[in-house]
Amino acid sequence: MQRYDYLKAIAPEASDALAVCTGWGAREWWAVRPGDGNLKTRTLGLVSSIAAGLALALPQRKVIAIDGDGAFLMNLCGLPTIALQNPGNLIHLLFDNEVYEASGGTATASRLADAVALARAAGYKHAIWVKTPEDFRAEFVRARQRNELTLIAAKVEPGQPKNLPPLTLDELENKYRFMRYLEETGKKGILSPGFDSKL
Amino acid sequence: MNMGPKQCAAAIVGGLKKAGIDFVATLPDEKMVEVIRAVARDRELKHVPLCREEEGIGICAGAYLAGKKTALIMQNAGFLNCCNALTTTSLQLQIPALLLIYYAGDIGDRGFTTLGSVTEPVLQALGIRSYVLRKSDEIDGTLHGAQILAEDSKKPVAVLLTKSVLGVK
Repeated sequence: MQRYDYLKAIAPEASDALAVCTGWGAREWWAVRPGDGNLKTRTLGLVSSIAAGLALALPQRKVIAIDGDGAFLMNLCGLPTIALQNPGNLIHLLFDNEVYEASGGTATASRLADAVALARAAGYKHAIWVKTPEDFRAEFVRARQRNELTLIAAKVEPGQPKNLPPLTLDELENKYRFMRYLEETGKKGILSPGFDSKL
Repeated sequence: MNMGPKQCAAAIVGGLKKAGIDFVATLPDEKMVEVIRAVARDRELKHVPLCREEEGIGICAGAYLAGKKTALIMQNAGFLNCCNALTTTSLQLQIPALLLIYYAGDIGDRGFTTLGSVTEPVLQALGIRSYVLRKSDEIDGTLHGAQILAEDSKKPVAVLLTKSVLGVK
């Protein structure tokens, strides 16, 4: 099974959750759950931290972080920070393919590292390995209903389906559309254009 | 006017709030403990203690996208820790943040001269505007002004905090 198989399984359950993605996972997530509630991040490792910042600022919204093992390992120190804040609306997904897939496919150090044990040790109340897309979907639904910080992890084969549509968004366009989406759905202004201010 | 560390901390946190800041991530330097304590005590500020400064850039970026006005309090060694995140998240995606950086190795500060000597050149290399804050009567104006620059330029702006403005030796 590949990450795409798991993403496909949870997309129907994601509803209007905000999704923060990284690497190839972004293109795959957009393919299964298109929309302006998706944000692609750039800095390796920060997908979970950016998602946590969103979750803390918007406690009434569900936020999904779509993490990979390379990013997860680079930002291990982010786990205790997130656990201490304990945003119940954050669902942290980890797809562990044991390679830096977006950076050429060489091995990460995740083969012997137990990401679920790491998350639990950092203070995550819920963290679980699952082995099938069906179980992943079930745990995802459980995490949504429970509304407590959860990591759901799966070992996956590297690779993507062929013919995935590439993202056509410019990255700033992605940011602005994401922010406008938050404004529209939250019925609250966020952006304050400086060129029209009379401060 | 000679103020102690607690009074200085109160003035700095007051300045942050007057500038509209409502979300603060921190990683301490010894010289800033009173500032961080004051942030942690303040019920109007969301406080996120960090394990490493780089994740603070991510957390503040996420909070900004959702409408928070963010500040990151750290030492200049921590600023160096987050140069990649500043480049590939803050600058690349045009995300503002107020960086309150303790200026270790500033004039007269022992033990950190290497760190002090690279701080302003690295800020300049990143294109991050920076202001050195030395006097307590300049706290409000500098923080408010820096926050306006950050919001309008959609970039981080740094305010370097020195021992004199922190009321410490």
